[in-house]
Parts: sequence; structure tokens; C-alpha cells
Amino acid sequence: MLLEMALAAIHTSRLTKDYGAGHGLFDLDLHVADQEVFGYLGPNGSGKTTTIRLLMGMVRPTAGSAHIFGLDCVRDAVEVKRKVGYLPGDVPQFGSLRGGEVVAYLGGMRGGVDRRNVQSLAERFDLDLSRPFREYSSGNKQKLAIVLAFMHKPDLLILDEPTSGLDPLNQQEFYALLRETRDAGATIFLSSHVLSEVEHVCDRIGILRSGRLVKVAELEELRRIRFHRVEVEFAPDESIPETQLRAAPGVENLAVGEHRVTCTVHGSFDGLLHAIAGSRVTDLVSTEPSLEEFFLSFFGEPKLKALPS
Amino acid sequence: MTSVLFGLRLGRWGMVGFSAAAAVSIFVQTAGFYQVAGQSAGDRAAFGASMATLAARFVALFPPPIRPDTVGGYVEFRGFHPLALIFAVWALASATGFARGDEERGIVEVALATGTSRIALVAARTAAFAVAICVASAAAGAAFVVGVASGGESVEAARVIEVCALLAAVGLSCYALAMLVAQFAAVRTATAAAGVVLLTLYLVNSLSRAFSWLETWRWLSPFRYYDLSQPLPPGGYFDVRGFIVLIGIAALATAAAGVAFQRRDLGASLVRLPSHMRPPSYAPSAAPWWRVPVVRGLYERRFGIIVWSLGLALLAVLFASLTKSIVQVLLSVPALVPYLSIFVRQQLYPAVLGYTWFNVAQLLFAAFAITQVARWSAEDTDGRLEMMLSEPLSRAAIVAERMAILTAGALVIAAISGVTLYYSSHSQGIDLNVQRLVTASLMLVPFGLVFAGVGSLLAAWNPRAAVGVLGAFAFASYLDTELGTIYKLPLWLQDLSAFKLFGTPLVSGVDGRNLALMLALAIAGVGSSILAMQRRDVGA
Repeated sequence: MLLEMALAAIHTSRLTKDYGAGHGLFDLDLHVADQEVFGYLGPNGSGKTTTIRLLMGMVRPTAGSAHIFGLDCVRDAVEVKRKVGYLPGDVPQFGSLRGGEVVAYLGGMRGGVDRRNVQSLAERFDLDLSRPFREYSSGNKQKLAIVLAFMHKPDLLILDEPTSGLDPLNQQEFYALLRETRDAGATIFLSSHVLSEVEHVCDRIGILRSGRLVKVAELEELRRIRFHRVEVEFAPDESIPETQLRAAPGVENLAVGEHRVTCTVHGSFDGLLHAIAGSRVTDLVSTEPSLEEFFLSFFGEPKLKALPS
Repeated sequence: MTSVLFGLRLGRWGMVGFSAAAAVSIFVQTAGFYQVAGQSAGDRAAFGASMATLAARFVALFPPPIRPDTVGGYVEFRGFHPLALIFAVWALASATGFARGDEERGIVEVALATGTSRIALVAARTAAFAVAICVASAAAGAAFVVGVASGGESVEAARVIEVCALLAAVGLSCYALAMLVAQFAAVRTATAAAGVVLLTLYLVNSLSRAFSWLETWRWLSPFRYYDLSQPLPPGGYFDVRGFIVLIGIAALATAAAGVAFQRRDLGASLVRLPSHMRPPSYAPSAAPWWRVPVVRGLYERRFGIIVWSLGLALLAVLFASLTKSIVQVLLSVPALVPYLSIFVRQQLYPAVLGYTWFNVAQLLFAAFAITQVARWSAEDTDGRLEMMLSEPLSRAAIVAERMAILTAGALVIAAISGVTLYYSSHSQGIDLNVQRLVTASLMLVPFGLVFAGVGSLLAAWNPRAAVGVLGAFAFASYLDTELGTIYKLPLWLQDLSAFKLFGTPLVSGVDGRNLALMLALAIAGVGSSILAMQRRDVGA
């Protein structure tokens, strides 16, 4: 047990934060290995942020324990934070301080931050550090939070919905940064409520609902169980390959119209693409289901009541 | 109507707090009158004379009372005049909170998105404040009526309504003026700019009682029109024209603020300096102070500390220059000459200056501590504390650094105001004992630390309630020292008031026991706040 804790980047044992009335996080047993990218998935209010605040020692557990690199998250909070880079769910307000001053302020508290690393991160995300924080757009505030989390090259990154507010180009840049960071030997714990995001970068995922961890899966398993809603429009003079579509693996709930079909695709798109390969397709739209729809499909239960995280 | 209700909802705690404070202070002053003024006509006449002497010392702050030997005259002077100032501060905080604070938090944007016009929003928030200040004024009036009844007397309802209406009108005009000024200032300077304008208007009127050359300008000040009435004492009067002018100022300033609000961008001031293009910078600040604990906090708060230092320095100059005229007034009362001759041997001018200046300085240092506690609370609710705690710093270290920053800031302010007081009094021909002045000025630091210690505990316990509860604590402390002897409160209870513990160090030196008690209170506050911080959840 002790060896397991020491070897794990994150280890929790029956970790509980009970806010009463069924709200909070309950009996979380989690093990995130060193140099792993772990996606923490759950709808709003499922307990993701509570878990992260427990790991960061911001809130005290009602029961159970949490360890990071073998250090107790409450007792050894200061030592833990030497090893961790943290990106909170809500970017705090720094008022009239300039971006560069915010970095210098928090970097000064931490000590040993390499200015060149900060500069390289700011350049990468095109974040002008000379502007006052107050004038930043929400995307720029999120970029600043990314710089603050990564500036000291931590061994573990704890990121609470890190791409919220970022445009698609910067999201891609962020995913690239995550991959590079993982390749450099860091562990990443990333919360999200977007399936495709964790699919981009994670080795494993944990699915949280109503404050309980209900599933820990490898990425391949996620890909098998997830689905897309697809709409295909064929050219007016084109016949729809209905037989091939019905026979295609992973294609379900097929509805055929005059020139249009809708269906859901589970797992790989290979079957669908193979079925329509010989036809002239004028439009193809694939929509990712919301996490609630995913849960409905996966667990066969209606949408869960939202809980404050 | 919905906007007015929403404005009332946002400002409900201010309304409740100021109503309670107004009611308590007026009741205590009214009931206290019957305790201290005596029952016989002779006792009351003597009491009235002593009040007139006291009023002469504060002629630069409050208008001289009419018939302070009566409950109406006394409470008008000791209760309602200071309340007008307190309501002006409330108006300042509410107006700038709406004009810039709510805008910063996105509340204004959401309200405008509902289809409410900007002018309607300004009018609605002004109406909401008008309701709130009418409630608080009515609470003060009701407390006066109850207090007078407790003394077996009665008061004319019309007089009470007039004094309440005046109080509400001056507060409302301050609200509108502050809201107007806030339209022209940048977000970070709006409160300071509106505060400076209101303070200037107040001083123009009050100082005109001491400096005749200011009389030509006092018509600009809403406080002038407040001073035109003193409805409570026998022989008092209510100036209807002055009241109408106050309402007119409120209406005009509200309309102007609405027009200005319509002409500016959200988040920007009406007057913007053109900004020049400059290439982006990707480097963090290289300034060394960010790496040094306490120094980085002082640097971050530098504007605030400079403003506080300059403000206190200016007031020090003012009090030094007023001292001689105050003493002249005192000496012109024949009955007081034998009494004052005792002090003449012990230097009358330093005694009066020490009493007036350090009384005001105590209030300002308490206010400085409260603003710092407000900042700690904001750090907590805005998420900055969570960000600081994500760095390898213990909670105890953060509390200790906060206190160290406050102590250093208070030292700077005390030093600058003390030096200014020394030179300005010297230029007036008043020679202060340097050693006493240094120790008296330094005593302001532990005095402020008492409030900081209590505030630190409150901010650790409940950051959202900290400022309100600390304000109530400061108010109770002030009442404790003002009324402790009148109501014969136990000595230990009186000793809990930092105002009492401060004493009169310029005249009689520092009382070691009181200094030790102040430091003990501050240390107890900090120690318990560290314990409370360790045990609480942050960001939850």
C-alpha cells in the first residue's frame, strides 16, 4: 500500500467531501501513475472541481485521504505544491496588475521560475504580458492561467477544464503542449466535460457522476463506447446505399430520407465511410453527444440531477 | 421597478447595516444625554457650556450646535451631524460600487442586456439607494424618538421628519455626485476620485467656518445646504430652500451621470487618454521586488499607501493650522480660562492638537485597516487566495505576510503624517515634543493592528461578512470609548476598545500597559486567524 502510494503520482483512498444533501464527493479511490495523462470526465456538478480542490489541499476531506507522490495533500500541502502546477476552473481576478506582473508575483512566491520558459509559453500562445489583466479577454485570461500552471515545469499538472475560453487554434496548441509535457516526463490530471478533449490527449479516463467514480477506462475502451450523431447528404441524382449502411459495423439508429440519412456511429467511423465510399456525398456532419447523452447511452439512465462542484 | 428591487437586493446588507448603526448610535447618544446632562436647569446649562467648548474644537468638522443643553441640540450635534458624514461614505461606496464595481463584475452588462436603458438603470439604482437611505434615516429618527421617550420627554414629529429628510437628502446628493464623478474616472481610480471630490466639497464648507476666504466657494458644497438647517433644538430651523437645493443636486447629478453613462463604453471612462501602439511583450516583469515577501505586497498596494499618506499629511497640516484658532475660541469663553490655565502651563496648543489630530488619526487608521481587510476578503472571493495557495506557501505564511504588509504600510503612513504634523505645527509656532510625537505617531500602528488582527480572524472565518462585521466592531469600539464612562461599563470591557487603549500619548506619553494590551489583542487576532485559516475550505 505504502509502495503503491509512493509510486503513484496521485493516490486517493475513500476520499470523501460531504457537503450534505447528497452533494460532494464520495469514497473516491483513484490511482494515477507517474507520467500518465489522466482525463477526469463528468457533467457539471459531478464533483470534478471538488476532487481537484481536495488534491490541492484547498478543501479538507470529510473522510479518506489523498496523496501526491506519496505526500499527504493536507499535511504536506506546501511540499505537494512544489511539485504541482495548478490551473483553476475559474481564473482569478488580478485587477490592474499587468500579465507580466501577475507571473512575476506568483513566480516570486514560488521561486526558481525560469523567465525563458515563461517567455516561450507566452510567445507560443501569443499572450501579450505587458497588458493589464483587466483588459484581457476571457481567452487571454485562460492563456495566462496556462502560463502560470506550466511556468515552473512541474512534475504534476492538475488542470480544471483547461481549454474553456480558448479558441480552436489555441486548443490545438494546448493539446500539443500537453503531449510535449507528458513526453518530458510529467504527469497530467485533466478535468473536462468534453469527450473529444480527453480523447485527444489522455491515456486513461475516469468518469464521475453524482460525486462517485463510476468508471475508469483506457482510451481504447472510451472510443468503443462513445458515439457520434451523423447526418449524411447525398447528391440529388445519387441513390442511397441503404443496405451497405444497415450492414456497416457501428452504424445504428439509421433513418433514411430522400437524399439524406441520419444515424449514430459507435466507435470507429470505418464502417460508415466504407458504406458510402462509392456515393457522391454533398455534406457530412458529425455531432458529438453531450456528456449527459453519453451517460444516457452508456448507463441507460436519464440525465442526472446537477450538483454544485 | 424590477431594476429598483434588484438594486435594493444588491445593497440590502448596506441598508441593514447602516440602519442598525444609525439607530444604535442615535439611541445611545439620546439616552446618554439624560445620563450625563443632569436634571436641573443649572446642570444642563453647565453641560451645554462644556458641549459648546467641545464643539469649538471640532468647528472645522461640524457646525456649532444650537442649544446643546437640550436633547435636540445635543443629539443634532453629536448624533446627526456625524451620521451625515457616515451616510456620505455609504453613498460613496454604493455609487462607485454600482458605477464601476458592478460593471467590472458584469452585473451592469447583464442588466443592460435585458433591454433596460442606461438612463433607466442609473435612475433605478439611484431610486434603490434613495429607498435604502430613507429607511436608514427613518431608523435614526425612530431611535431618537425612543431615546427621548426614555428620558420622559417628547419631541415634535415634524422636527424628526425634517432631520430625517435632511439626512436622506444630503446622502442622496452625495450618491449622485459620486456616481457622476465615477463616469469620468478609470475603474481603479473611480472610488478615490469620487472620494476626493466629496471630501473636498465637505472641507470647502466646513473650513469656511475657520477661513473666511472659503466662504465664496461653499455654495458648491451639498454639505452647505445641510448645514443651513438644524431642526431638532428649541429655536432650531428647517431651511426648505436648502433642502430643495439638495434634492436638485441629486436630480441634476443623476441625470448628468445617466447622460455620461450613455456616452461612454462599458468598462471605460468617459474621458480616455489616447493609448499609443506598442509591440507586445512576452517577458514577465523583471523587477526584483516581486521576489521579496512583504515588499511585493507593498509595491502592489503602493497607490493606496501613497493616497493614504498624502491624505493624512494634508489633514495634519489642516489640524495644525486650525489649532490656534480653536484655542482662541476656547480662551474667549471666560468660564474656561481658569480651567485652561492648568493646561497653559502644560502647553495648551500641543494638548489641543494632540486631542483633535490623534482622535481623527485613530479613526483613519481604523479605516485603513478595514480597507486592507476588505482586500483580503476580495482576494478570497475573487480566487486570488486559491492561486496564492497553489504556490508552495503555507496558509500561516500568507496570513503573516498580509499582516506584515499592513504593518509596513501603517508605518509609512504614520511616519509621513507624523513628520508633516511636526513641520506644519512648527511653522505655526507650535513646538511639539519630538519624542512624544514619534511615540504617539508610532502608537497608531499597534492601534491599526488591533483592527487588522480582528479583521484577519473575520476574513479567515467568513470573508464575505468580514468587512461588515469589522465595521460594526470598529463602531462598537468607538461607542465603547465614547460612552463607556457615561454608562459606567466595566473597566475590562472599556479596555477592549482600541480607542480607549490609545490614550493621549502626545500629552501624557505612552501607557505601557495599554500598548501591551493592544499588541496582545493584535497577536491574539492573528494567531486565531492562522488557526481558522488552517481549518477552513478555500474556494468552496
